[in-house]
Amino acid sequence: MRFVRFKTPDGHPALGARVGDEVINLTKLGLPGTLDELLRLGAAGMASAKAALEKATTRLPLSSVQLMAPLHHPHKAFAIGLNYVDHAHEGNFTPPTQPVLFHRYPTSWVAHGVAIERPKASIEFDYEGEIVAIIGKGGKYISKENALDHVAGYSLFNDGSIRDFQFRSSQWMWGKNFDRSGGFGPEFITADELPLGVVGLDITTRLNGQVMQKANTRDMIFDVATLVVACSEGMELHPGDMIITGTPAGVGFARKPPVFMKAGDVCEVEVEGMGILSNPVIDEA
Amino acid sequence: MRIFTFEKAGKATLGLLKNEQEYIDLELAGYAHANNMVDLLSQADWEVKLAEILKNAPASAVASIAGLKYDILIANPSKIICVGLNYADHAKEGGHATPDHPSFFIRVNSSQVAHQQPMLVPKQSSERFDYEAELAVIIGKTARHLTADNALDCVAGYSCYNDGSVRDFQRKGTQWTLGKNFDKTGSFGPWLVTKDELPAGGDGLKIQARLNGQVLQDGNTADFLFSVSQVLVILSEVMTLEPGDVIITGTPAGVGYARKPPIFMKEGDVCEIEIEKIGILSNPIANA
Repeated sequence: MRFVRFKTPDGHPALGARVGDEVINLTKLGLPGTLDELLRLGAAGMASAKAALEKATTRLPLSSVQLMAPLHHPHKAFAIGLNYVDHAHEGNFTPPTQPVLFHRYPTSWVAHGVAIERPKASIEFDYEGEIVAIIGKGGKYISKENALDHVAGYSLFNDGSIRDFQFRSSQWMWGKNFDRSGGFGPEFITADELPLGVVGLDITTRLNGQVMQKANTRDMIFDVATLVVACSEGMELHPGDMIITGTPAGVGFARKPPVFMKAGDVCEVEVEGMGILSNPVIDEA
Repeated sequence: MRIFTFEKAGKATLGLLKNEQEYIDLELAGYAHANNMVDLLSQADWEVKLAEILKNAPASAVASIAGLKYDILIANPSKIICVGLNYADHAKEGGHATPDHPSFFIRVNSSQVAHQQPMLVPKQSSERFDYEAELAVIIGKTARHLTADNALDCVAGYSCYNDGSVRDFQRKGTQWTLGKNFDKTGSFGPWLVTKDELPAGGDGLKIQARLNGQVLQDGNTADFLFSVSQVLVILSEVMTLEPGDVIITGTPAGVGYARKPPIFMKEGDVCEIEIEKIGILSNPIANA
C-alpha cells in the first residue's frame, strides 16, 4: 500500500491511502491520524488499513489535498553518511568500513511540494537524493537475517545540506539541520511493493530538470539490513524510526564548478517505482 | 528556583525545591502544567506562577525530598544538542587542534536516564564506557537568529549532564553519533536551576566529574572556548530553538579514555557530576 499524510480540503490532517490519482481518507474510516500510530499497531493496523481501503466508497482527488511529510515526530531519524563509494570519493573521503551515522531533526524537513529554504547564513545549499527506510517492528540487537522484517516500508528524502556549515567541524550535524532544508515524501510505500531491501532501484536527482545524480541502490556500501543491524546494536528501534540511507555521487559541492540550489529552482528526487519527491527552493524569509 | 521531575505512582510529576529538605509537589499545589517540563517551560508565565507557589503553597503540597524517585529532568525535548571540544584542554587530550568553530552532535531522548538511575554499560563495549561532565543549558523561549545582546534571554536555566560515551563506537566512523546514543548511557539532572540564581551564561562555575569519589575532571566553565551566548547565537542561525530544548556545552579535560592508563566505568561504580551552585548529578553504573 501507499500511504500519504495530508490535509483535507477543509484543513484537517489525516492519513490516507493513495490509489492512482485518488486518496482514500483512512482516518475518517477509523484508522489513526498518523503513520507512526498506525505502525505501532503492527500487522493488525496494516490489515485494518487494507480492509478500510477495500470498503471505502469516497475518494478525494490527489490534487485536492495538501501533502504533509509522512512522519513528523520520529523518536530517531538517523542519516547514513558516505554510503556509496563514488560519493565518498567525490568528497575526498575514504569509503567507510562501518556505517557512519548522523541525525536530522524533524524541523529540518518539509513535505513533497513544499519549498525547501536556502538559509540567510549561506549560499552553499546542496541536494542529496536518498531513500529512507522506516521501522515498523521495534527491536534491539536485531540480526541481519531478520533485519528486513523490522522495516515497514520506504519513502524518499532530499537530505538538503548547507555545505560550509557541514564542514566547519568534523561533525556534520550543523549543516544537516537547518530549518526546512530537507524534503521528505511524497508517500510511504509498504515494503511488499518494492524489491527486498529496495535493492536494484535507479535513483536520480534532478535540478531544474537536469540530471545531477544517477545511480542504483545496489551500489550502497551498507545495505538496508546492515544499517538496521548497526542502528539496533546500540539503540532500541521503535516503530516510526527513520534510517535515511545515503546519497550517491553527483552532489553540487563536488562538481566543478560547484552547483548550489537557489530561489526559483526545483529539485526532484526520483526512485524507480517510488515516485518523485519534488521541492521548489526559496530563500529563508 | 530549582525545578525537577519525579515519579509519583508511576507518573512523571514536577516538583519545586522549597528548601534543602523539602519540595512542593506542583500537582498538589494546583498548578495546571505539573507533569511535563516542556509543557511547563512553554507557559509564558511559569516563572511568576512558580514564584507564587513557592511563597503560598499549602502544607499539603509539601513533602520531604528523602526517598524521592527522580525522573529524567526533561524526557521529551524536541532537541538535545551537544557541543564537542569546547574546552581547550579536552580538545588537546584527545589529539584535536583547538577548533575555530564548535562542533555539534546530538543525543536522542532514549540515551538518557534520571539522577540516581543506573547508567548502562553496553553489552558490546564492556570496557570503553566513559563519563563527561557538562553544563546543560535549558531553553525557555522560542528563538531564532539570536544576537550576542539577546542570546541569554531565551535561557530558562541550567543543570548537570553526564554525556556518557561509548568510545569504541564513537570512533568507529567520522561521526560521533553512534557512540553518544546507546540506550541509557547519559544522565541529566537533578534539577533545573533558574538562571537568576547563577552567573550570566553559567560562566565561572567549577565543574567536576568524580568516579567512586575520585576527582577525574576538575574544570571551570570560564574556560569554555565558545560561551553559552556564542553557542546560542550560532545554533539559532541554523534552527529554531524551542522551550525545553537542551544544549550540552562540552566537557573539560580528564575523561577516562585519554588517561594513562585509561579509566572506564564499570558495574558497581558511582559517577558524580558536580557543578558549583547547581548541585550533584549522581548515577550508579550497571551492566545493560
